[in-house]
Amino acid sequence: MRKYLYIYKSELMSQLQYLFNLVFGFIGCGIILFIFFNLWHYIYSDSSQIINGYSVDQMIWYVIITEIIWGACMGRTLCRKISNDVRGGNIAYNINKPYNYIGYSLASHLGTATVKGIIYTVLALILGLVMMGNFPTTNVLELVLVLISSILAVVISSLFTIFIGLFSFFIEDSSPFYWLYSKFILVIGVIFPIEYFPNVVQPFLKFSPIYVVSYGPAKLFVNFNINDCISIFVAQFIYILVAYLLCSLVYKKGVRRLNVNGG
Amino acid sequence: MNEEKAIRVKGLKKTFKIKLKEKGLIGSIKGMFKTKYKKINAVNDISFEVDKGEMIAFIGPNGAGKSTTIKMLTGILYPDQGEIEVMGIDPRRKRKQLAYEIGTVFGQKEQLWMHLTPYDNFKFFGAIYDLDERVVEKRINELVELFEISEFINTPVRNLSLGQRIRCEIAASLIHKPKILFLDEPTIGLDPVVKENIRTFIKRMNKEYKTTIFLTSHDVGDIEKLCKRIIIVNHGEIVLDDSMDNLKYHYLNKKIVEAKMKEKINLDDEEGITILKDKGYNLKIEVDTTKRTVGDAIKLLDPDKIVDINISNVPLENIISDIYKSGN
Repeated sequence: MRKYLYIYKSELMSQLQYLFNLVFGFIGCGIILFIFFNLWHYIYSDSSQIINGYSVDQMIWYVIITEIIWGACMGRTLCRKISNDVRGGNIAYNINKPYNYIGYSLASHLGTATVKGIIYTVLALILGLVMMGNFPTTNVLELVLVLISSILAVVISSLFTIFIGLFSFFIEDSSPFYWLYSKFILVIGVIFPIEYFPNVVQPFLKFSPIYVVSYGPAKLFVNFNINDCISIFVAQFIYILVAYLLCSLVYKKGVRRLNVNGG
Repeated sequence: MNEEKAIRVKGLKKTFKIKLKEKGLIGSIKGMFKTKYKKINAVNDISFEVDKGEMIAFIGPNGAGKSTTIKMLTGILYPDQGEIEVMGIDPRRKRKQLAYEIGTVFGQKEQLWMHLTPYDNFKFFGAIYDLDERVVEKRINELVELFEISEFINTPVRNLSLGQRIRCEIAASLIHKPKILFLDEPTIGLDPVVKENIRTFIKRMNKEYKTTIFLTSHDVGDIEKLCKRIIIVNHGEIVLDDSMDNLKYHYLNKKIVEAKMKEKINLDDEEGITILKDKGYNLKIEVDTTKRTVGDAIKLLDPDKIVDINISNVPLENIISDIYKSGN
């Protein structure tokens, strides 16, 4: 475990070199939040109105939390890196080291996600407070549970990204699959809570990754409920286990097929 | 297993399946429906042994199969056939266990974290190899002294010169005291002075830690100055496995005579004498001393007309190049 903590720490130290880049990277996220602030206020003609169980403030805080998680675990670079490692043969230099490649990729990506997550959280919460002047919950225990759930969401999203990246062992380029996955999460999971979708679709969405990587932590933040909390945590742990097993399976099969020619 | 052997390889084979594509757009469209493959015997029945503490050069032209062999030795690739033992470990079955016994340096691929300092990198590699903090600190001090790194130990790797970086790469790969170090083109792109420094460090490391060195390089200087034994591979097969002294001895029967003449002289090839270069006043002749003497060559030139003369052995580079070309 110590080696993975070191990988995490090393990536964290590397990312700190780009602190200002990451702060500027938040500008895009800030613009989206500002747009949704105005959009939801336009949709909710009356601020006391409740639509699908959410007030206007809850809807905006929901988008703030999902945007923070999404910003922190953005996996395009990770997927491209794994894909390039596999196709270009660079993975060979990781194989002969005494660590697990999946553990290495995950620890390294979490190092990046931590720095981005802290910057996005601080800036997004300040922006949310300035825009709305309130905070959905100030209960420390609830906030801690939301934080843990958000961290688990980032871990699951990273594992899914690694899983998609590892498909490069079998197909030429796995980035189109990541594109599909990211758009699925972004369009359906980040912008709207599951309750906004037709009743017939909702059970499917509750079994989809959306429930554990975006909806769960955001829902707990805007409307904490202990039963939801337990089911979200259980689902997250199951997802972590399944995603890790899938990654290991694909990696094990893939490495046997690895052809690295040349010097 | 023989206790004295660091590496044992027997009947090693590896075949690659390469995708073929017919030329042009039509070829690309055809390829979408029917893919043709070509089999390439990258490594074809290779057997050799390396003693513990030996410094061996494993060389060959591009595409000869040397990198594939190294990758099989380090557990990166699975051989199709044959036996491998590296420090008594089968890389196919116990790749992770083997990782603790070996170190790798690839001159063309950085393994260090570019944004971190060499010190942080050494600490990182120490943790990767499960070393205790105190052991890592002690080891860092040893390596800093051995490779003279103290001056730039706290400079981010991205700001180091190539020579400094390679020194750090080698030092980092030694943090866990590997029994065998695989060096793949360690001096590529370095200037002659830095190359010489790196070679000195490698020699010192081999002497101090008795590390077995398995070197791949196209630089004849690396091979000549570091290794006592040479294995040449070509077309996936070993074409020569001999000591450096033997190799040179067999080729010592050829001498190179370079002469600067007072006036132009016309010479033709004769038995045992080959004109390599004729620029009128400057001549370069190869003499096969099993057939003719160097004196014969000088007589042909006419000693009274010679301004300057230099007699030398055939450079190792030419010997190796001849072996590559002849294939045996």
